[in-house]
Amino acid sequence: MSVVTRRHEELHETIEDELPDAILDFDEHHNAPAVVANPSRVDDVVRILKQNGYNHLSSVSAVEYDNRYESVYHLRRITDDREDFDEINVVAPADPDEPAVETVSDVFKGANWHEREAYDLMGIRYDNHPDMRRILLPETWKGHPLRDEYDVDQPQYTTLEAHANPIEERYEVENDAALDTMFLNIGPHHPATHGVLHLKTVLDGEVVVDVDPDIGYLHRCEEYLCERLDYKYQIMPYPDRWDYVSAGMLNEMAYARCIEDLAEIDVPEYAQVIRVLAQELSRIAAHMLAVGTFALDIYGELNVIFMYAFKDREIVQEMLEDLSGQRLMFNYLRLGGVAYDLPEPRDEWFGKIRGFLDDLPGKMDEYRSLLEGNELLRKRAEGTGILEPETAKEYGCTGPVLRGSGVGYDVREVDPYGYYDELDWDVVTYDGCDNLSRVLVRLGEVEESARLVEQCVDILESWDGDREIQSRVPRSITPPAETENYTAVEGAKGELGIHIVSDGTEKPHRFKIRSPCFSNLAVFSELAEGEYLADMIATLGSLDLVFGEVDR
Amino acid sequence: MVTFNDAVADLLGVDGFSPLVEFIVGIVGASIVVSVMLTIIGISAVWLKRKWNARLGDRIAVNRIGPAGLMVMPADALKLFSKEVVVPEGVDRIGYKLAPMLAAATVLAAFAFIPFGSGLQIADPETGLIFALAFASLSAVPVVMAGYSSKNKYSFLGFEREVAQAIAYEIPLVVSALAVVPLVAVFADTSAPLRMSNVVTAQQGPLLGVTGLPIPNWFIFAQPVAAVLFFVSILAEFSRNPFDLPEAGSELVAGYLTEYGGVNFVLLFLAEFAAIYFGGALFTALFLGGGSGPVLPAVVWFLGKTFVFYLVVQWFRATIPRVRIDQLLEFGWKYLLELTFLNLLLTAGILWVVL
Repeated sequence: MSVVTRRHEELHETIEDELPDAILDFDEHHNAPAVVANPSRVDDVVRILKQNGYNHLSSVSAVEYDNRYESVYHLRRITDDREDFDEINVVAPADPDEPAVETVSDVFKGANWHEREAYDLMGIRYDNHPDMRRILLPETWKGHPLRDEYDVDQPQYTTLEAHANPIEERYEVENDAALDTMFLNIGPHHPATHGVLHLKTVLDGEVVVDVDPDIGYLHRCEEYLCERLDYKYQIMPYPDRWDYVSAGMLNEMAYARCIEDLAEIDVPEYAQVIRVLAQELSRIAAHMLAVGTFALDIYGELNVIFMYAFKDREIVQEMLEDLSGQRLMFNYLRLGGVAYDLPEPRDEWFGKIRGFLDDLPGKMDEYRSLLEGNELLRKRAEGTGILEPETAKEYGCTGPVLRGSGVGYDVREVDPYGYYDELDWDVVTYDGCDNLSRVLVRLGEVEESARLVEQCVDILESWDGDREIQSRVPRSITPPAETENYTAVEGAKGELGIHIVSDGTEKPHRFKIRSPCFSNLAVFSELAEGEYLADMIATLGSLDLVFGEVDR
Repeated sequence: MVTFNDAVADLLGVDGFSPLVEFIVGIVGASIVVSVMLTIIGISAVWLKRKWNARLGDRIAVNRIGPAGLMVMPADALKLFSKEVVVPEGVDRIGYKLAPMLAAATVLAAFAFIPFGSGLQIADPETGLIFALAFASLSAVPVVMAGYSSKNKYSFLGFEREVAQAIAYEIPLVVSALAVVPLVAVFADTSAPLRMSNVVTAQQGPLLGVTGLPIPNWFIFAQPVAAVLFFVSILAEFSRNPFDLPEAGSELVAGYLTEYGGVNFVLLFLAEFAAIYFGGALFTALFLGGGSGPVLPAVVWFLGKTFVFYLVVQWFRATIPRVRIDQLLEFGWKYLLELTFLNLLLTAGILWVVL
């Protein structure tokens, strides 16, 4: 009996002993066992699990069934020991007419935003939630769009009152203290918001007193779209549009992993190596962009770090273009493999990659000296935007944001997929917990990715077996009904997870995207409050948000 | 050295002009200076800045319109001047419209005191240096006007920063410039060491003590600390990187410029670039020996040195990150102020001992 299985048995008993009336049933999901909890006691169940080491709430997703709604919580255990990794799901079934579930946002602060999203899109009300507002759609929206009964054609008009000046009522009349502060709308059109983020900021002089991120300006109904497309071909182009700045390969892998796991599709080894190669090139490109735009946020000018980073990203972008035929929207992965073999002539392409890899150490030294060696930049980026590891875990932060706080959680390492287990690489962490650490983690990961790319190129160059790029996949993919699976991959920004609920057809019944940027942005107000306005912008840059992924 | 009017009188072989002619010749001189400066600013603001920044960042920049992209200047000018002047609702119209004009006027007027050399100096009063520094300080006023009248919170924050910054760096600027004044009195042997032409004259000879070597007696060698302090203060005074907080592209959108467009924006933009040149001209006159240099005429040397100053400022723009407002104020009040006074006292002390 493995450690994990034994732990599950023990957990089983603990929960039944301590909360006999909170548990309705035990279930088995494809990725992990599930606890079916009484919706009004689900917070107690999650709290027990948290006490037993499940310290990371990946996502909360809402599912609609004929006779009930379900609020599904995906919990993970993050420790330093890789063998200790484990997952568990909690399901809270809710009444079909008036769906209501107790909030877990007092157990995991990160649940706050996830539950708001579930309320917004599926209409499940979370009792005792501190801030039960819509999050992606406007407050005046009618209906909950992911419900079956939702009428797409109904007109969505907004009353004039809803457009009243938000400043007057909320910040200037409220109390006397408000007279000393200034309410400032940063965005949605602002040079430093990396797209369309709206920060409702309250400033006291130059110091940020309160900041409330307002998202949803780039909501394109990605989940709704995916629920109406078939597994085999139609969904694959969409992941490219989540984190659209060159991280497409990683997003595609997130979808491929989930459905290959659920439908039990094998991937030939040759294709797996190509996948890793493509993903890591993608990661290099995405991290280059992150480093460059962070510098842009601190400088405010077209500075050399930004330009150098963009130049280097362009080289990687060209390699990916050779590989997939597309610059950003790759659509390269297929279920059971990849779309095309490596570009011919292969030697030329390998030469290109090797040339880049040979130049990389010198370039990394230059980036380091530009970032770390610059006294003024250190003064700006060191000790600002402090994210304590405990806070980061509370909010479900992942990726370089979490690793910049010294927690070495990397999905590639703890929950390996594809070919990563066969290769030699390290997880990069810095424990400065500040803006600079988060950027240095990205620089370190570029080097680790380069190591992985080099190993892949070595393997591919000396490959003498069958070049099988895709395994045999059934004509139509229909996972059994009522099965569900949550898997994640390490995207450019962190844990990019997909939760698929199947209803036995060739289209998913529920397709939930767990976006790392979403959780990383949720912690933003904790980081920014008490900082200077300039540091708030720098912190926003260091979180490396892409709004295609936050809003989906 | 002589002013432009004296030079013209000399050329015509007359002793002096009647007040009316004096006025007309003065206007002609001013037009020449302003035209020269506008041309230089036009070239550098629109074209050179792009080319130079691009070179620093491994780019090419404008190269399609005309040879080496030079025609981008008329194209840009035409574009900006043909834009509709949009005055946002609720602004203080007087302040909003006056600010750009005042900005351009103050900084261009300040060039009157600059001894370009070759007889190109409009006014040379006995207190020229004080006048020039006063005009430098005046550049904060239009920024405050623009920011306050715009009725925009970003503009408001921008001008608030400008005020804090101008106050913090005013004193270091003046005091570090004053450190050269005792030297002027010694080297030019004059009782009017604040006269700009005397400041330049004092730097013409070889450096004291190393007469054999061709090192000129520029005050950057005699007063290196003052030169560095003055340079930093000038950057802060005219809000250049790393002290460009009133504009702060990534934080305040465009700071006090946010609500401006079309021709009003052109004027504010022009004032900003003219200010860099004015800073460069002051630095050249005070520390780089003005127009002193071999072979070429003095005015060419003078403008060449200001160009170098400009390129250095743009180089900073590409490589040095912006400081935070508290760091800026801390640096100004806690270090720069003390250092400049210390330097002044030290200079006076050394001269007192030596002479």
